Amino acid sequence: MMRLLLLGVGAVALAACGSEDETKSAYPDKDPFPSTYQPYPSENLIIVGATILTGTGEKIENGVVTVMNGEIASVGPAANIREPKGFTKIDATGKIITPGIIDLHSHLGVYPSPSNRSTSDGNEATSPNTAGVWAEHSIYPQDPGFGRALAGGVTSLHVMPGSANLFGGRTVTLKNVPSRTVQGMKFPDAPYGIKMACGENPKRVYASRGPATRMGNFKGYREAWIGAKAYKQEWDGYARKVADGEGGKAPSRDLSKETLAGVLDGDIIVHMHCYRGDEMVNVLDMAEEFGYKVGTFHHAIEAYKVADYLAENEVCAAVWADWWGFKFEAYDSVRANAALVANQPGGCVVIHSDDGVGIQRLNQEAAKAMADGRKIGIDFKPEEVITWITANPAKAAGIIDETGTLEAGKDADFVIWDTDPFSVYARPEQVYVDGALMFDREDTANQPVFDFELGQAGREDV
Amino acid sequence: MFLKTLLSAAAALTLGAAAFAQTNTVAITNGELHMTSADGDVVMDGTILIRGGRIVGVGQDLDVPDSAEVIDAGGMPVTPGFFVSMSAIGLNEIGAVREANDQGTDNMALSAALDARDGYNADSSVIDVTRAGGITRAYTTPSAGGTLFGGCGMVISMERGFDAIVEPCAAQVATLGESAAGQTGGSRQGAMATFRRALEDAIAYDDDPEAYAASGAENRLSVEDASALVPAAMGDQLMMISVHGASDIRRVLELVERYDLDVVLVGATEAWRVADELAEAEVPVLINPLANLPQSFERMGATLTAAQKLSDAGVTVAFYDAGIGYTHNARLLPQLAGNAVANGMDYAAAMRAVTLTPAEMFGLGRSLGTLERGKLADVVIWDGDPFEVTSRPSRVFIEGEEKSLENRQSRLEERYKDLSRGDKPFQYRNR
Repeated sequence: MMRLLLLGVGAVALAACGSEDETKSAYPDKDPFPSTYQPYPSENLIIVGATILTGTGEKIENGVVTVMNGEIASVGPAANIREPKGFTKIDATGKIITPGIIDLHSHLGVYPSPSNRSTSDGNEATSPNTAGVWAEHSIYPQDPGFGRALAGGVTSLHVMPGSANLFGGRTVTLKNVPSRTVQGMKFPDAPYGIKMACGENPKRVYASRGPATRMGNFKGYREAWIGAKAYKQEWDGYARKVADGEGGKAPSRDLSKETLAGVLDGDIIVHMHCYRGDEMVNVLDMAEEFGYKVGTFHHAIEAYKVADYLAENEVCAAVWADWWGFKFEAYDSVRANAALVANQPGGCVVIHSDDGVGIQRLNQEAAKAMADGRKIGIDFKPEEVITWITANPAKAAGIIDETGTLEAGKDADFVIWDTDPFSVYARPEQVYVDGALMFDREDTANQPVFDFELGQAGREDV
Repeated sequence: MFLKTLLSAAAALTLGAAAFAQTNTVAITNGELHMTSADGDVVMDGTILIRGGRIVGVGQDLDVPDSAEVIDAGGMPVTPGFFVSMSAIGLNEIGAVREANDQGTDNMALSAALDARDGYNADSSVIDVTRAGGITRAYTTPSAGGTLFGGCGMVISMERGFDAIVEPCAAQVATLGESAAGQTGGSRQGAMATFRRALEDAIAYDDDPEAYAASGAENRLSVEDASALVPAAMGDQLMMISVHGASDIRRVLELVERYDLDVVLVGATEAWRVADELAEAEVPVLINPLANLPQSFERMGATLTAAQKLSDAGVTVAFYDAGIGYTHNARLLPQLAGNAVANGMDYAAAMRAVTLTPAEMFGLGRSLGTLERGKLADVVIWDGDPFEVTSRPSRVFIEGEEKSLENRQSRLEERYKDLSRGDKPFQYRNR
């Protein structure tokens, strides 16, 4: 995960840049819609008696988690942790604690409920390259789907534009805490991503004007990267002049190229919708050609056919457990896909939803993927498989330093499950984000009701 | 409902033909037997005896003939083969490949006259994949797409070949509510009026086919559609109506009453809000127990507790999934049932919803759906609780014959399990 660490550094640099005096930077503001997310008030907690899947690959029986000021203060076996004074004690005997679930592939907010033309804001299908659009500007913060996902244990999610375009636009990472504004949900200092798409979707959408073929897709990507390189050189040249005190006229801004230049700079992570294995390898060569990294291939149905290439290139595969057959490039799905990818040395697999219903049960999707690996002799344990929906999506979204595992110093994003989360019968009892109780199954006062549902009939699940 | 049960008893008798040749006895021993009665009874440490494609004995302490082939279930659950209540298996090989998808029809075509048999691909790869999930029967149907009626679907056995068509033209499929309004001028009034007119057309056709054909009235059903709609319009054939909102469901119940229709509601997101009326009218519902998003104004009442609420109110419930689980992942039926249980539905009721209820819905309740003596031996041995997401079928029997669990996906897994270069390209391996 060298690359992701590097990207993490890039993200820190980005944040630092934003905090400096803006007039000193020659570059346009990289964070013009900054996060205003603030954790809600939380108690200092000591949670005892539970089995803990830490998200680091470990399982602790009779474990203890302590939370202080919204952060994990300690995690370990009961014997190793001294009970701090003045902390509120929660007895979680018989329960399971996991990190908060993270969905790397969501369209909540951009394709919200209700689903109709007025609310459909996920695909700017007007040009093959819309790298300049940002998913956050489509997010409907009143999407009740956020609340349903919270009830399913989802504490962070990576929301993307759709896959109509070669370059669909910028992604946004959210804390799953309701807000009036998207800024109020944005995960502080999370790096941006860009959504790209391989294969059938772009060539179908643009069949009449092009690209109409996979080779047309690649021409489209490569020409855009060529343009982005020139754009970046232009701005870098200008920045050097400014630094040297020469000044000069700033180049004119191009929002699409600005995003692509961000990828070339290592600040923006590439999330590429790509089903076919051979196509993924073509993309890896293209990334080499233009000197950027692919972060994750999404919907990677055929990842198992090229799992060795993916591991060598340190690229994650984000997959469904078992979806298949809805289009030709989804025909060669296998149920052990996730296990086959994870089984490669250095392999990185993420189970994603792409779905407002599926996001509510990513634990079940991971459980199926685990069982299907076992069927062919690849035996991952629950403490390993939980990383497919916690730590690995956190790495892939560039937020692993803040969340995704239960380790001292991280955000206290976690779920208390009533039973083994790899059981169909398991449900989250409580969901905490930054130590604040945001969902409690037994207490309707701790369950959000989104504006759209307020005053409507039959709102059982709100 | 269940008017059809008698009509189909005759059809059920013919089902055993495929297993005619089998005369030896198979004994599945040491099983946790589910659905040993219509009430969903469970027999621990039970034995099932199978001969001639049928269950000839079931219970504890059965005498197993010396000549029997004995299969030790190892204490694991044994169930009737699961029965998918609605799908397009064999009609939809690949969703977005137009040439490989015969599920939907636009409004240029006929509607009620369409017959799933005409589009059925008896070699669909979906069949093997679905069987490996413990499904032994499914209802497969065209969709009501550009018209209010989609034609008739059929019950299939989960095996390749044309012998797998168990009951052709088992139900007419129809749609009302929001989606139907979009096809009939944009309003529900338009949809309901068009729907009633179609029923009247069928009745008029039945009354005097020649007069109907000669009338030449515009905007009426074609002779073919009117003729095909007659059994459903007369209440002799099941009609599966897709409808979601509580208000729409009330209007459908009025239609059921007025025309004495035999109806199953499909989708039925807000059915739980009129559960007592549905129970009273004996109208079953086919729901997705996971559908809890308020995706439209007719689904504001979407809830994970719908299955429990309906079942507790005495409504007959079965499961389906209108999304990816409709056809390609129809194999995930156990997961739907498990989630219904996780959200309050009685376990035995959920088991019934994936076995006996669909069998009864399509008039096959006498021959399928339980492990009772005399029924066709559709039997699945599982490696854990069948509803658990980590459980898989270990052995599947259809009419007493053990079936392969291999499929295109398992073949691909085998081919690419080892990615080393090898002596020959991948295309030469595991052929």
